[in-house]
Amino acid sequence: MNNQIINTEIITKKQIKDSLLDFVSRQFLVDKEDIELDKSLIDTGIIDSMGLIEISTFITQNFNFKVSVDQMTRQNFGSILLLVDFIDKNKRFN
Amino acid sequence: MKNIKRCTRCILSENFPKIEFDEKGVCNICNNELLCSTDSVIIDKARGEIKNLFDVARGKSEYDAILCYSGGKDSTYTLKLAVEKYNLKVLSFTLDNGFISPTAFRNIEKVVSKLGVDQITYRPSYKFMKSLFRLSSLETIYNPRTLIRISANCNSCISIVNNTALKLALEKDIPFILAGFTLGQIPCNTIYYKNNYEFLKDTRKPILDKLKSQLGDEVSRYFEISDSLITKSGFYPHNINLLTLEDITENEIIEEILPMGWEIPKDVDGCSTNCIINAFNNHIHNEKYGYSPYELELSHLIRNGQIARERALEKIYDRPVDQIEYTYRELEIKHN
Ligand SMILES: [Zn+2]
Repeated sequence: MNNQIINTEIITKKQIKDSLLDFVSRQFLVDKEDIELDKSLIDTGIIDSMGLIEISTFITQNFNFKVSVDQMTRQNFGSILLLVDFIDKNKRFN
Repeated sequence: MKNIKRCTRCILSENFPKIEFDEKGVCNICNNELLCSTDSVIIDKARGEIKNLFDVARGKSEYDAILCYSGGKDSTYTLKLAVEKYNLKVLSFTLDNGFISPTAFRNIEKVVSKLGVDQITYRPSYKFMKSLFRLSSLETIYNPRTLIRISANCNSCISIVNNTALKLALEKDIPFILAGFTLGQIPCNTIYYKNNYEFLKDTRKPILDKLKSQLGDEVSRYFEISDSLITKSGFYPHNINLLTLEDITENEIIEEILPMGWEIPKDVDGCSTNCIINAFNNHIHNEKYGYSPYELELSHLIRNGQIARERALEKIYDRPVDQIEYTYRELEIKHN
């Protein structure tokens, strides 16, 4: 499933976005089409504050870096697009 | 009511969000093991990391951990684990929401005495709790999407539990906050975590604003932590759900806690072992959304072999009318 992507050499931003959208739609029971990429998942009512914890654990498990408490900000977690940038900058390969 | 269509393997009903059934009547969640059901790799990894966290922090503060103790079976067993298996010096903390069963209080007394731990009970103003419950029953405070595994009233109550536990942890330099959630009640990627309080505060603001507009500034006392306390303490505790690391059935949990004098309360509904308002909360959730907030958790336990399907159905259909009526009266909500 999602774990596969960590084994590829290069992960494009598109792959990060697809994997995030898969996770969010599966985990929070929402259709992908209903997720607005540039809006906050909290403001649009898809997740609550626990959802942020779930997303940060998902990132750690799938992109091989630990999200520190200081990184959990609106700047990084404020929307799917911001998350993609954040993951792209911090991702590591096995 | 009982002829509602349900998955033939778990108990998710046709009203559950995004549910689909295949030709055999099995739901998409059973078929795909969605919602991160049992990932033994994740759990094993968490087990090791949690052990390390405990080993590093044990003995460095007045208490190693504060445990949110409701008196129910799961948190009772979690308290026993924390003390006996993990060797932690625990402060047990109970939020009295005004609807705790008297049997649950006796259970708390017996268990903390038996385990030799300190116990704090915090009872917010009953007047406030009633108006909070009335508001979260009658109005849509939380987005329905975030209520798939919890009723609105439980959500309100647990927010106060979490906030008070965090406050106590910060005041007393306690590195861990423990709770007795099971997988199913929480997803497996929240077995342990740290919060960023600033961001948390930011994200909860719209809900707190809604609460404050109806209930006044008193909301702050129960739902917020002062900036000065955050700055002064300068650390964030870890939240850890120890019970998620155990492979144990409901019956085995009860067998483990009965010797401490724990008794099953008779004045609660089938889904609770401590709280009288639960029957009402589930009733409101059922009326509003057409499914029980316990369906997801119980279905997870069924798939994991931790409870029989029949037993799970018994639980969600145990809806004591007297407790529901009692709550309507206490909250002063008129109904037909
Ligand atoms: Zn099912």
